[in-house]
Amino acid sequence: MNRTFPRSRSRREFLGTVLGTAAVVSAFPALAAETPASQVAIESGLTCQCGCGLTVHSCNHLNCGSGIPLKKEIAERIALGGSEEEIVGYFQTKYGEKILSSPTTTGFNLAAWTVPFIAIGLGGGLVGWVLTRWRRSGAAAAADAQVADVEDPTRRARIEAALDDWDKRS
Amino acid sequence: MSDIGRLAIVLGFIVAIWGIVASVAGALRRDDDLVASGSHAAYAFSALVGIAVAALLYLLLTHDFNVEYVSAYSSSTLPVWYTIAALWGGMKGSLLWWTFILAVCNAIVQFQNRDKNRDAMPWVTAVLLMVGAFFLSLLVFITNPFERLSFTPAEGSDLNPLLQNYWMTIHPPSLYIGFVTTTVPFAFAIAALATGKLGDTWIRTTRRWAIFSWFFLTLGNLFGAAWAYVVLGWGGYWAWDPVENAAFMPWLTATAFLHSVTIQEKKDMLKVWNMVLVILTFALTIFGTFLTRSGVISSVHSFTQSGLGPFFMGFLLAMLALSLGLLVWRLPLLKSRNELESVFSREAAFLLNNLALVGIAFTVFWGTVFPVISEWVRGVKITVGPPFFNRVNAPLALALVFLMGVGPVIAWRRASWQSLQRSFLWPVLVGLSVGALALAQAGGNYYAVVAFSFAAFALTTVWTEFWRGMRVRQAMLGEKPWTALSRLIGKNRRRYGGYIVHVGTAMVFVGIVASSVFKVEVQKGLEPGGTVSIGRYTLRYDGVRTESDAHVDKTLAQIAVSRDGEPIATLEPEKRFYKKPKQPTTEVAIWSTLGADLYVVLGSYDPPTKSAVIQVFVNPLISWMWIGGVVMALGTAVCMWPSWSEQMSTVAAGVPSGTRTAS
Repeated sequence: MNRTFPRSRSRREFLGTVLGTAAVVSAFPALAAETPASQVAIESGLTCQCGCGLTVHSCNHLNCGSGIPLKKEIAERIALGGSEEEIVGYFQTKYGEKILSSPTTTGFNLAAWTVPFIAIGLGGGLVGWVLTRWRRSGAAAAADAQVADVEDPTRRARIEAALDDWDKRS
Repeated sequence: MSDIGRLAIVLGFIVAIWGIVASVAGALRRDDDLVASGSHAAYAFSALVGIAVAALLYLLLTHDFNVEYVSAYSSSTLPVWYTIAALWGGMKGSLLWWTFILAVCNAIVQFQNRDKNRDAMPWVTAVLLMVGAFFLSLLVFITNPFERLSFTPAEGSDLNPLLQNYWMTIHPPSLYIGFVTTTVPFAFAIAALATGKLGDTWIRTTRRWAIFSWFFLTLGNLFGAAWAYVVLGWGGYWAWDPVENAAFMPWLTATAFLHSVTIQEKKDMLKVWNMVLVILTFALTIFGTFLTRSGVISSVHSFTQSGLGPFFMGFLLAMLALSLGLLVWRLPLLKSRNELESVFSREAAFLLNNLALVGIAFTVFWGTVFPVISEWVRGVKITVGPPFFNRVNAPLALALVFLMGVGPVIAWRRASWQSLQRSFLWPVLVGLSVGALALAQAGGNYYAVVAFSFAAFALTTVWTEFWRGMRVRQAMLGEKPWTALSRLIGKNRRRYGGYIVHVGTAMVFVGIVASSVFKVEVQKGLEPGGTVSIGRYTLRYDGVRTESDAHVDKTLAQIAVSRDGEPIATLEPEKRFYKKPKQPTTEVAIWSTLGADLYVVLGSYDPPTKSAVIQVFVNPLISWMWIGGVVMALGTAVCMWPSWSEQMSTVAAGVPSGTRTAS
């Protein structure tokens, strides 16, 4: 590999990049959620029934006829010692499945979770099969041709620069 | 003026039908006069739709409330800018606006191709007019935007207050331009199938259109996110609402197309797949319009719902049947070289990239329609909300960002072990280092750790590409750094523009992950003088002030903000009470820095006690999303910008562009 710039410079870049990133990552406020975690989790697991499409936790519509009473009721049930599972179950019984913000993982609803991965798995299988097939037909061509690795940016830029130099001279 | 508008759309529809008939008949009979007539019809169609838009705009600006649309979506007190936005603020106007954008595109396509692509053009004209005729047919036969009332109301009902925001003046037009311009590559693809000329010509001809469309889809989605962020006041920007999903899906398939089309251009592969992606992208834009206007799925975008759903579904199915039928018919002519030397190659990386993009598109589609499927199968209404989409798409997004780092630097055909080491040593080291730092900071949130690590990996690959190329030019040609960089980009705008887009995408990704995973919030009822703290910030509530005009009453909370004890700003989150219609809205106040947004919402205000409920969010790195969006737009502009040498070579010799590059 041809190096056209000093090694020490690339080290400096690397350190610069790492330190810069460290500064950014450190900028995250080391904060803890100030609403009880269980309440946030329950509110996030339920859909507001006002039609906004948001979770109960996210809905902050002024005087929302659904979100505000639901939040209040969740807080009351937490105060009474209800577990997350019990409270969510209570609301599911009261409002039906539509109040859950994502499908359950039982029965037909399992299809919601599994079908995307099955489809992508099948797609992946298809891509694998296609690659294997193409590779067989490409192997013969590869035997005859030497790979010119113009994708190396250094090499590619050299060619571009040489062409520019040629343009200037001619 | 309403009569002129109505006449224009009726004539436009008739002209479009004639244009379709003349173009198809001209192509089949090889009759140049008929083909020319079809092209003239396309110009006439554009002019007539332009007249109709001008008429509706005139009616809006002159407050002619006898026109039902004007009365329903504007008022005499609505600011001029939002009066113009009312053109696309209602269903009828938005359909006309859509048709207008298509008509403008059609005229541009006719002009660009007046001396070339003569075999394809009749079919292109026919397809563009077919789509235009469908939209106009809705306005002519079903929902007339120029309908007059039997009486003249003294005042209009006004534009939905949620739409009275600057982002809403640019979000729908951007998205519509993105949606509508997918029709151009689709029309050329259909023309290629119809004529059997399935080489690269249609791809070269539509390359800029495809990038242009992607550019506006990107902007449309980001502007929509920005609108949600500043208007809806829930601290987020993306709720996986069905209509948001409808705008996101074509973006995903268009992105897949822009990558896979490179393989066809360079390696003569994936011809069928590219056709499928073009058809799919167009179909998804119509599907998105169907979702917005059918009401089949509950959405916050309900202001554009109507009974037009079945028409859109019928049109969508007809276009799919037509295009897929043509595709199957032409399969024997779409044979590609399809040779691959190694799975360690750019071809393979791009295939995996397509798998991830289309996989995410399918996941979003599945999650969007699953409530309908569930209701059909079980008779039970369910909700598929953000937790589902976030959970299912997270691993796919990670894979995509990883591939975004691999794709640009792995060699075509076959990557040797040495070239892999050379290309990936620094990116892997930087990725791992950032991962380690993130692990130390983010603790057990492994998704965030991997996400930051992959984003750093992808960014470093791009950095390496620019750095090496620049250094070589400096060494060989003695150019200064800035000259070397600008010429490096100028020599291969498409490649380096693409890299800039990758930088923007990685920034958007980091912004999304950080603001989703590390967001914190607090809500507190405060008396004047009361404080609430969150992280390094302390906010003191100093009461409210009010503003009022003929259009809206505003209550603005006065919030003094300090960080680490130092005063930094006074924020004024608002509640607005619009007078027509009587509807409250939330206007958030944001203190934005590169590190985090302090996002303050006035939840409620009680005048007798002067107390208020204040909701505060700290959204880390969210500005990276918006800056990343600007970087993406910049990169796309670089890709689209025609070079001087390219123009000269095209004009002088008809040589295809981009031939003199080293790649």
